[in-house]
Amino acid sequence: MSLERRKRGHLLGLLGAPTLFLLVFFFGPLLIMLVYAFLTPGLYGGVDWVFSHLNFGRILGWANTRYETFDPVYIAIFLRSLRLAGLTVLSSLLICYPAAFWISRMRPGLRAFAIFLVTLPFFVSLIVRLFAWVLILRPTGFLNQALMGAGLTSTPVEFLYTDFAVILGMTYVFIPFMFLPLYGAIEKLDMAQIEASFDLGATRWQTFRKVVLPATMPGIVGGSVITFIPALGNFIVPSVLGGAKVLMIGNLIEQQFLSARNWPFGSALAMLVMAAVLVLLLAQTRLARAKT
Amino acid sequence: MPSPLEIVGARKVFATPEGGSMTALDGVSLKLASAEFVTLLGPSGCGKTTLLRTISGFETLDDGDVLIDGTAVTQMPAHRRPVNTVFQRYALFGHMSVGRNVGYALEIAGRDKREIDTRVGEMLDLVGMSGMQQRSIAQLSGGQQQRVALARALAGKPRLLLLDEPLSALDKNLRQKMQQELKALQRELGIGFIFVTHDQEEALTMSDRIAVLAHGRIQQIGTPGALYRTPANLFTADFLGESNLLPAEVSGTAARLRDGQGFAAARRGGPATLLLRPEALCLRAPNGPALRFDGTLRETFYTGTDHQVVLDTAGHGTLRALLRADGALPDIGAAMTLYADAQGLHLIDEVLP
Repeated sequence: MSLERRKRGHLLGLLGAPTLFLLVFFFGPLLIMLVYAFLTPGLYGGVDWVFSHLNFGRILGWANTRYETFDPVYIAIFLRSLRLAGLTVLSSLLICYPAAFWISRMRPGLRAFAIFLVTLPFFVSLIVRLFAWVLILRPTGFLNQALMGAGLTSTPVEFLYTDFAVILGMTYVFIPFMFLPLYGAIEKLDMAQIEASFDLGATRWQTFRKVVLPATMPGIVGGSVITFIPALGNFIVPSVLGGAKVLMIGNLIEQQFLSARNWPFGSALAMLVMAAVLVLLLAQTRLARAKT
Repeated sequence: MPSPLEIVGARKVFATPEGGSMTALDGVSLKLASAEFVTLLGPSGCGKTTLLRTISGFETLDDGDVLIDGTAVTQMPAHRRPVNTVFQRYALFGHMSVGRNVGYALEIAGRDKREIDTRVGEMLDLVGMSGMQQRSIAQLSGGQQQRVALARALAGKPRLLLLDEPLSALDKNLRQKMQQELKALQRELGIGFIFVTHDQEEALTMSDRIAVLAHGRIQQIGTPGALYRTPANLFTADFLGESNLLPAEVSGTAARLRDGQGFAAARRGGPATLLLRPEALCLRAPNGPALRFDGTLRETFYTGTDHQVVLDTAGHGTLRALLRADGALPDIGAAMTLYADAQGLHLIDEVLP
């Protein structure tokens, strides 16, 4: 009993600090935003403590007053964000899956070095790395000069400020997020199972579909989720590489808080992003539970 | 009828990480007379696993041929060969149920679901796991996983079953039970089994024939009895069972031990080695000609049916003997004399190093 109590005390001591930290710095602000999302924006920024559902109405369709009107552009931006985040997940998956296979079969010393290389971009400021991409993609940039030099095009191709540039930039930023869970799953893959599949008559493609893919699915799902969530809310990549043309939901929220000073509307948008992420996570856990 | 399996002059050389090369198979030839239970026996690194993998198609030979039912499959990829393997650590598909594991070969072959279900049921009955289709692999014990691996390999009706040390992960009792079951299964199915092991007892128990491998070559191939009683060389004599090896000199039809004792030998002249199995030694002198070994008793181990005895002799070094437990033994350190019948002794045409 006393041992039990001591154990419990010990556990409380261990969990206390992080719990408190999360309460104050995560759930607290989140709660404030949830409340703000249902308040009226003040005339000169800040909030008026009057209940309002029109912040959501502006996004979803029922707001029709002098100041607060529905504009389908918000939903369009939200859908574009979903699409760009989805394509980012897809492209980083296509890059990381074969790469993880390749690296998992290197000899140990080389393998550790390759994994270090994958995580290397973390050591350089994100802004610096993104501006490097601007230098590559802009009309007078390296890529266009190379294309024109090779005679493939006579006028510069517009890479910068397109969906393509944003997907490229986000893929570049989130590759380590996708790679590490994938690598974890692929490294654990039992090579004997692959041989067993060949032995039982399966071709390479059948073996991939029926043995390799299901066995590495936890890594694929894990990597996709932790890439999709930050990609959906990202505003740095679209503001540097997408400019004013490719606005994502993260940019919109940032503008509402910092430029438009409409905190309730920014909060409402943020809540919608949160809801989308929660639905995704719920679906994932459901799926994982159905499997086992 | 063509032989279920024939291997002709198989050669395989691996490059080592240090830049050298290692000959895993150095001209191995092997032919199954019928649906036999053949064991490839040898110490680790002798080439037995490489030989098995060239039959299953996971290694390609540098030279030589593999024929299954008279058809050369040397260049055929693993997934098209009519053989299946029971892997050392089973290699079961962890994300599939027992039933899907067993039905995998049929699922791949595109058979219809009802046929697969029937066959899976039959296979699980065969290995004593009836009705366990829905179990997950993680729920199974080691012995059950072994059985599922066996059922999975047999479900596609292979022409030949390859077994890569499948019993090494099991405890002793279960291993002995599985040995008997495997042997019975092979007889029932009437297909060839190629069994790889480094455990000589296992090889003696199960096999119709044993091929002893060392240094990439087959040292000797024969029935367990023939290999045990008349090994062709020192390696086989030493590797299979316990043995006392004594230098001998043959001239004409007579052979002599180093201390001058003589016995009949039907062999060409020159130096040779006499093989005396521990159970060939006894306490009482047999009727007729006998070899006699005087020494002091160093150690005895009681096994229930026998005494294992270690005797230090003056002229022949240390001898090991297996004596029936009914006779009384002298004290440890006391003088002791052992005899061996001097007829039908086996000589090996090799000299002890």
